[in-house]
Amino acid sequence: MVSGFAAVLRKDLRLELRSGESTLALLALSMLVLVVLVFALDAARVRSVDAAAGALWVAMVFAGMLGANRALLAERDNGAIRGLLLSPLDPATLFATKLAAALIFMAVAEVGAVILMVLFFNLDFDASTVRLAPILVLGAIGFSALATLLSAITGRTRGGDLLLPILAVPIFVPALIAGVKASAAALAGAPFAAMGDWLKIMIAFDVLFVTAGYLLFEYVIGQD
Amino acid sequence: MSAPVVETHSLAKSYGVAPVLRDVDLRLLAGTGAFIIGGNGSGKSTLLRMLAGLEAPSGGRALVFGQDTRRLAARYRRRIGMMAHESFLYPMLTARENLEFYAELFSLADPHASAELWLGRVGLTEVADNRVRTFSRGMQQRLSAARAMLAEPALLLVDEPFASLDHDGAEIVAGLLRGAIERGASVIATAHAVPEIDGVEFAVFEISRGLLLPHAHKEEVRRGRIRSLLGR
Repeated sequence: MVSGFAAVLRKDLRLELRSGESTLALLALSMLVLVVLVFALDAARVRSVDAAAGALWVAMVFAGMLGANRALLAERDNGAIRGLLLSPLDPATLFATKLAAALIFMAVAEVGAVILMVLFFNLDFDASTVRLAPILVLGAIGFSALATLLSAITGRTRGGDLLLPILAVPIFVPALIAGVKASAAALAGAPFAAMGDWLKIMIAFDVLFVTAGYLLFEYVIGQD
Repeated sequence: MSAPVVETHSLAKSYGVAPVLRDVDLRLLAGTGAFIIGGNGSGKSTLLRMLAGLEAPSGGRALVFGQDTRRLAARYRRRIGMMAHESFLYPMLTARENLEFYAELFSLADPHASAELWLGRVGLTEVADNRVRTFSRGMQQRLSAARAMLAEPALLLVDEPFASLDHDGAEIVAGLLRGAIERGASVIATAHAVPEIDGVEFAVFEISRGLLLPHAHKEEVRRGRIRSLLGR
């Protein structure tokens, strides 16, 4: 099981390093979203930490969608997914691998997005920026789990690429609101204790969708 | 008498209201081969996918190694090799990387050595480090055969193994199928017409109007060259 996990993850990373498609697209998309929002938001009326947190999460959602979609897209080429399903690899392990790959792609995009956010919104690289890390990790886990599960479903349908955001974004809204609020609080210098309720919502969302993906992936990716 | 490797009981498949296969009863023992012939859309590939557990039957049962293919455990899946229309290969990986990846998935002792061995067997050693996307359809077909047989499966499901292959490629794949049966594996292959493979006899079935029937021209199966494949 561990060797299967490692083999698929290594293969996914190798494919990504070779093409660079996902990472470059994620970074470009993050930059685009942040640029648009920094000009669209009125600095006089919105606190820069609130605007920055909102912009960061919008960029993250778009990037996450692209990352999760691409992680399974490679398996659709030449029917490779059937090769995986015919192997001894457990479908739940396959979900864990795809989740890990989507997380890695999203983490790279997040690092880029945070740097751009700090630059565009005139923030300082200090302890408050570092405090964003656990919040973003929680958000990335939840969103990657949700998007990986849903992309396995939508990938089997015609126009699945369009269907994924329609399904994923509304479901992610509770975690998205919690993430934006917690991030704004972190950037404003609030201690973790002050954002406890928001973090609990994010943890609950992560547990729910990682468990759902682990248990249900077999049924959504399996037999035709 | 040994238990059958493949056994189906009134197996049926429909897409919507259109029946593709009905009342398919098939039984295959270890070390034997069967060719299933039929026209385009007759249900040959669907039957193989159901036997592999990739597609759920609409009715009846398919048993492989005595297990229902609706839920094949990993220890049974690892004993099945499938060569389908789709190659199951990653175009951006090299031929060697593809085989090493599958060797790791099947927990083979030495993935690198296994990949090397099978690249040699399908005559692709010289292009082992080229990406699969640069391969012709025939080369991909040979690599797909190597991928399917890498873990020396006890059951080999092969969908039109000679399509897209030139004379040398067809000889190589025919040799691999013969080798698989000689080492005790069971082989179910599909084709449009009955192929002839040196040194091995296959039972021949025909799918007609969704029914699996013994082929009317069994005398076509005899020792000889792969004449029908090569149009000679």
